Amino acid sequence: MTVHINKPATGNKAKRILPVGHYRGLGAWTVFFFIFLYLPIVVLIFYSFNANRMVMNWGGFGIDWYIKAFQNDDIQKAVWNSLIVATVATVFATAIATIGALVLARGGNFRGKTVSLGLITLPLMVPEIVTAVAVLIFFSAIGMNWGLGNVIIAHITFCIPFAFMPIRARLEGMDTSLEQAARDLYASEWETFRFVTAPLLMPGIVAGSMLSFVISMDDFIITLMVGGAGSTTLPVYIYSMIRRGLTPEINAVSTVLLFFSVAIVTAYWIVSNKSQTKTVH
Amino acid sequence: MNESIPAITANNVVKHYGGSASPVVALKNISLEIRDNEFFTLLGPSGCGKTTLLRLIAGFEQVTDGKIMLFDDEIANLEPSQRPVNTVFQHYALFPHMTVAQNVAFGLERLKKPRSEIETTVNEVLTLVKMKHLADRSPNQLSGGQQQRVALARALAPSPKVLLLDEPLSALDLKLRQAMREELKQLQRETGITFVFVTHDQEEALSMSDRIAVMSEGEVQQIGRPTDIYEHPVNRFVADFIGDTNFLDGEIMSIDDDLVTCRVGTQSMFEAENSGGHKVGDQVSLFLRPEKITLSPQSETIGTDTRPGKVANIIYLGNQAAYTVDIGGGIELIAQARPREDGNLPFAIGDSLAVGFSARALRVLAQ
Repeated sequence: MTVHINKPATGNKAKRILPVGHYRGLGAWTVFFFIFLYLPIVVLIFYSFNANRMVMNWGGFGIDWYIKAFQNDDIQKAVWNSLIVATVATVFATAIATIGALVLARGGNFRGKTVSLGLITLPLMVPEIVTAVAVLIFFSAIGMNWGLGNVIIAHITFCIPFAFMPIRARLEGMDTSLEQAARDLYASEWETFRFVTAPLLMPGIVAGSMLSFVISMDDFIITLMVGGAGSTTLPVYIYSMIRRGLTPEINAVSTVLLFFSVAIVTAYWIVSNKSQTKTVH
Repeated sequence: MNESIPAITANNVVKHYGGSASPVVALKNISLEIRDNEFFTLLGPSGCGKTTLLRLIAGFEQVTDGKIMLFDDEIANLEPSQRPVNTVFQHYALFPHMTVAQNVAFGLERLKKPRSEIETTVNEVLTLVKMKHLADRSPNQLSGGQQQRVALARALAPSPKVLLLDEPLSALDLKLRQAMREELKQLQRETGITFVFVTHDQEEALSMSDRIAVMSEGEVQQIGRPTDIYEHPVNRFVADFIGDTNFLDGEIMSIDDDLVTCRVGTQSMFEAENSGGHKVGDQVSLFLRPEKITLSPQSETIGTDTRPGKVANIIYLGNQAAYTVDIGGGIELIAQARPREDGNLPFAIGDSLAVGFSARALRVLAQ
């Protein structure tokens, strides 16, 4: 009963705490803020449909640049490389992150737990250029030259923390008595993981892998440093196109990349929302 | 099963948390026997170690020292999955990604029972807890009471030798909690499974249990039937924790075969039943349940067992009222009286009355 009485009350209270409308000019400021964020992207998309050769001179609507981009062998190669790198890196990074999260969230107290947690999330704070130079020097020092393989290994390293965070968050939020109940009902440790922990952890794993996929697809600095000839990914290729001169083809490729990323994030959002209403009480 | 062998035997069980350098002592030295077929309750305030003991029996925690026997088998070092005991968790811990039926079947599937047997058993236990019609629901489509029943069914399905219940009623509202008490008791009688029930609610313990172990600060204070615990508490903690009680602190002045005479305060003398083991000069607490005191109008005779008193305060509770009565010498007693048939209370604040209680209702406890 009290819950029913209290709920609307707290709702009202929350409204009263944040009287957004009271601050004059806040609305206009918000609109300006969003324009600042998204106008460049809108312009980029707009000019990708330009029929003219010059990027900033509107010459009528056309999808010629998309067709041209899709027919460009170098772009195809770069997209293919990006997909291979992102997929392989995501699979490994997510697997490692899942194991790490399980140990840190369910492994009890062990020596070096706090340090491990710090080390696994530290790459998020290390400047990317530092990681890039370090990885490059490391590979050349040990004489490793696997082409795309080098890029993949580098991507795995920086994708791990991105995959790790949503998985760990999900684990921390999971009631440990569920796993105890499984153990109590004669499940071995493996069966407990297989039938209880893993299915409940899935939204976190999906979130982690999508995040790491997008991060890997998008990476430029590390890929540029580590990737040799023949292992050019899409962001690196776009950069090289810009150096050769701006054409709406770049806009077209960037737009496709943008919608691809948005599609993945949206898919994740739908998946996680669905499973949340299903699994969280 | 064999009547002579206890279902659970705890022998000098000790449990410390944290490192050996500065351990937190959860259980000091627990020894108790839980009989087969019994509804046994571990009762105590939070932090008394009752849940720890339950978790040691379930296998979620490891004993620091001591033995736990399940019938003839030492189980203290087995994995939870190797112990034929099942648990009903405080917040039910139903698997949210499985249906009610899948939840109930989980234990049987892990035991590699044949498909047909699993189906039959799941149907049986769901019928037993009146949840068969909701077998295909997901747990979060159920109310708290229904989840409670599913949790019971899930724990009962593998026919455990002992069922452990960790404050299973605490999350339910009052009406439902009272209804579930009767059902739990009935379920225990029907299944014949030994129930070990953990609670901090003395009413729950008194109403359901065959025997109760009252715990405090990692130790068992008293084990006995509900009436033993309520009427003959062995110490002040038990007397205070179970029910409402008057305590009169005083000194033993004289002792004869049946009665002990105590002085409370400066001049009031009370006679109490001699439970043995006392000597003159001991500082003791006299213990008197409110319902053992009769209140009557002062016009009636003041006999040997009655004293004059005055109503100091009244707390109305509907079916009865708790009266605070001043009987002089700085002593106030809590007593009970029922409303009259017209619904009015028999006495008002300031009324003089006769306060009656027999020496047999007073018990001597060490302070």
